[in-house]
Amino acid sequence: MTDFNRRTFLRNSLLVGGGLMMGMPALNLANAAEVQTLTLYSGQHEKTTQAIVDAFTKATGIQVKIRTGNSIQLANQIIEEGKRSPADVFYSEESPPVAALAERNMLAQLPQATLDQVRETYRATDGTWTGITARCRVTVFNPDLIDESELPASVMDMATEAWKDRVAFVPTSGAFQQQIVAIKHLLGRDAALDWLKGLKKYGRIYNNNMAAMRAVERGEIATALVNNYYWYIVAREQGVDNMKSRLHFSGPQDPGALITVSAAGVLKTAKNMDAAQKLVAFMTSIEGQKVYAGGVAEWPMNPAVESTFDIKPFDELQPPAVNPANLGGADEALQLRREAGLA
Amino acid sequence: MIASAIRTGRRNPLRQSWMVWAALIPVTLVVLPVIYIFIRTAQLGAHGAWAELFRARNLELLLNTLILAGGVTSLAVVFGLSVAWCVERSNLPGRNWLRVVAGLPLVVPAFVASYAWSSIDSMFQNMAGAILILALAKYPLVYLPVAASLRNTDPGFEDVSRSLGKGPWRTFFSALLPQLIPALGGGALLVGTHMFAEFGALALLRVQTFTTAIFESYELQFNSSAAAMQSMVLIVLCIPLIRAEIRLRGGRNVARVGKGSARQAQPVQLGVWTIPVLLGFIVLFALALGVPFVMLGYWLLTGASVGVGYEKIWPAIQGTLTLAGSGALFTSLMAIPLVMLAVRQRGLLARLAERLPYIVHGLPGVVVALALVFLAIRVVPFAYQTIFVVLAAYAILFLPLAQSSLRASIELLPNNLENIGRSLGKRPFHVFVTVILPNIAPGIGAALALMMLEMARELTATLMLAPTGTTTLATQVWSYTSDGEFAAAAPFAALLVVISILPVWIFTQRMLRQGN
Repeated sequence: MTDFNRRTFLRNSLLVGGGLMMGMPALNLANAAEVQTLTLYSGQHEKTTQAIVDAFTKATGIQVKIRTGNSIQLANQIIEEGKRSPADVFYSEESPPVAALAERNMLAQLPQATLDQVRETYRATDGTWTGITARCRVTVFNPDLIDESELPASVMDMATEAWKDRVAFVPTSGAFQQQIVAIKHLLGRDAALDWLKGLKKYGRIYNNNMAAMRAVERGEIATALVNNYYWYIVAREQGVDNMKSRLHFSGPQDPGALITVSAAGVLKTAKNMDAAQKLVAFMTSIEGQKVYAGGVAEWPMNPAVESTFDIKPFDELQPPAVNPANLGGADEALQLRREAGLA
Repeated sequence: MIASAIRTGRRNPLRQSWMVWAALIPVTLVVLPVIYIFIRTAQLGAHGAWAELFRARNLELLLNTLILAGGVTSLAVVFGLSVAWCVERSNLPGRNWLRVVAGLPLVVPAFVASYAWSSIDSMFQNMAGAILILALAKYPLVYLPVAASLRNTDPGFEDVSRSLGKGPWRTFFSALLPQLIPALGGGALLVGTHMFAEFGALALLRVQTFTTAIFESYELQFNSSAAAMQSMVLIVLCIPLIRAEIRLRGGRNVARVGKGSARQAQPVQLGVWTIPVLLGFIVLFALALGVPFVMLGYWLLTGASVGVGYEKIWPAIQGTLTLAGSGALFTSLMAIPLVMLAVRQRGLLARLAERLPYIVHGLPGVVVALALVFLAIRVVPFAYQTIFVVLAAYAILFLPLAQSSLRASIELLPNNLENIGRSLGKRPFHVFVTVILPNIAPGIGAALALMMLEMARELTATLMLAPTGTTTLATQVWSYTSDGEFAAAAPFAALLVVISILPVWIFTQRMLRQGN
């Protein structure tokens, strides 16, 4: 009797299980077969993306499916998908993943009208992608461990013995690669290599920017080389008044004050080319940029829009004379890091 | 291996050849990422591959990878073995309760543990810290099979040893330990290969391994060839581990004629050691469970992003249950023929086929996910970004966990069970469903539970392969933590822990019961 029950139970659960296993996916397939909509691969923070997409749908009536992921992994995914990629638009937290697609000739030309909406320095020279918002490299420091007056005007001076175990850096972060390439362009290859060797010897390696930022905030290490918005992320979470760490901007035209951008481009293989171009045009328009201005502590790339956050006005920044579009050379950065023993 | 299996099939005409075909599905799935890695590595060319392989930095990564895997595995074996012995063989008070609690660290996702520890103090953000934290998270994978095996061992061997005048320690090492080796080896293999592929937990612990370097190759160069080359190294690293495990298992006959003595082993009187051992357990649980739970609680209660994203909770639960549920079922089904063939045929190729998934278990999720992106969109474009490809990815990533849960049950099956069924004139498949399946039900239960647990946490393959717009608890945790909104992530992480409790409880019960 027991055996019989057990067997019936097993058979039934197999049936139910099998049914579920086949039924659920079938249901998903059926759902997916509804109206054609725009597909956006987005590596930008989910909330930011959702806000801009909602505004876009409200303005145009075009539906957008968002595939969220890590920018870099999404770019790798698009590369592996090749010509068959379902993506129409790619929106990345940093410009190098978008530039990587441009290098592989996978991005369509953006119309001049879209490009003209953003500051000229912050878009691809060949017009295949555009910056959406900008952020700045900064030195985050903990005043308990170091006085701001001790911080040098240039990050180039932070890779020396005097800074032993006092500088956190993330050699694998995208913005750090851009910084390496910027130094190479501005000060020459030897300077870049020496700087990296100094950091390897005296600095402390972290595996991600948030970890480095929090290490400074908690007083584990005096300074960290990160992007400005990491400070705002922590500040938003624990309250600005509770923040121990402070931001330090490097001197005029120093590579430590480098500006990097989040960026978007349209895939050549987009199935909805018109709608895709409309989305990027909207993201860079005044209406779209206002969504960013109120949502993230970054600088809108449309000069007509100002951030509502308490950040330095964009025009007061004194970034080095390089264009983010020319800093995509991850191979150059990697070569240098390898020579310095950092990769 | 098909040839070998068929050959053995011919030697024994009652064996079910449909099972060989069934086993081909998981073998094919597991081979997919290997094919992809070969395609990508080939693009580097011999010269490029050579240059890429013999860089000074790779030696450093190799050392780190080996130290991490070796350290975590050894420490997990020490924890697992001591806990198992204490709850099964000593008169420790409350051991029935401790037996279940000792399996609970499995409910804590590794990234929660590593976040919790790394925020206590920077002293944990190094190799030693990583080894401790990961061993605390993974030791149940050693503890559970060893505890089951301890119950199953015949205390007669130890009696003989003691009667020959050997001391308790020598008896432990010469009479008891050899009987535990298959369970111990299986658990250790699982932990070791898993460490090759570990990524999420290491991000906060400042340790660089081959897997972190693979992520780096994808991240900075968008270079899948360099990443493939490094994946190849991981595969090569897995091979000696698997060989060692096969030898440990293969050299021993785990079966025994008759039931042996029906009695339980006499519990060892701990005496004055009772208090220190209990304290040891308290410390272990405080480290493995207390620290992450306190951190989760802290997140739940503080931070400005408390209460953000509650509307996503239900879809996330639904997504998690759908993906993990069907994934667990699919993967367990795939694992049964593999293990059956390996246990029954014992041919070299059948055994190799069974070990193959362990090799791929050492590959990082991103490689497996990109392999499926590359192959699916070219070979089965209509299935791309549907749940089917996710299921395939889960099977590739987690087959070994299902296999190791099933193995003990299948080994206990009397050898001629299906022959008796067949001799009654039933068809092989019918015999399988009516005779074999009910008899290995405990193993299936354990496999399903462990699969659910791991799949609910899977992130990389889920993000890349799930239908666009799918959310799971794990993707929500990732999304909020990457924005630094730990308080918003907390309910999702806590739910992930809560829905893990049932599978862990079932898994623990099933695994321990297999010993009875």
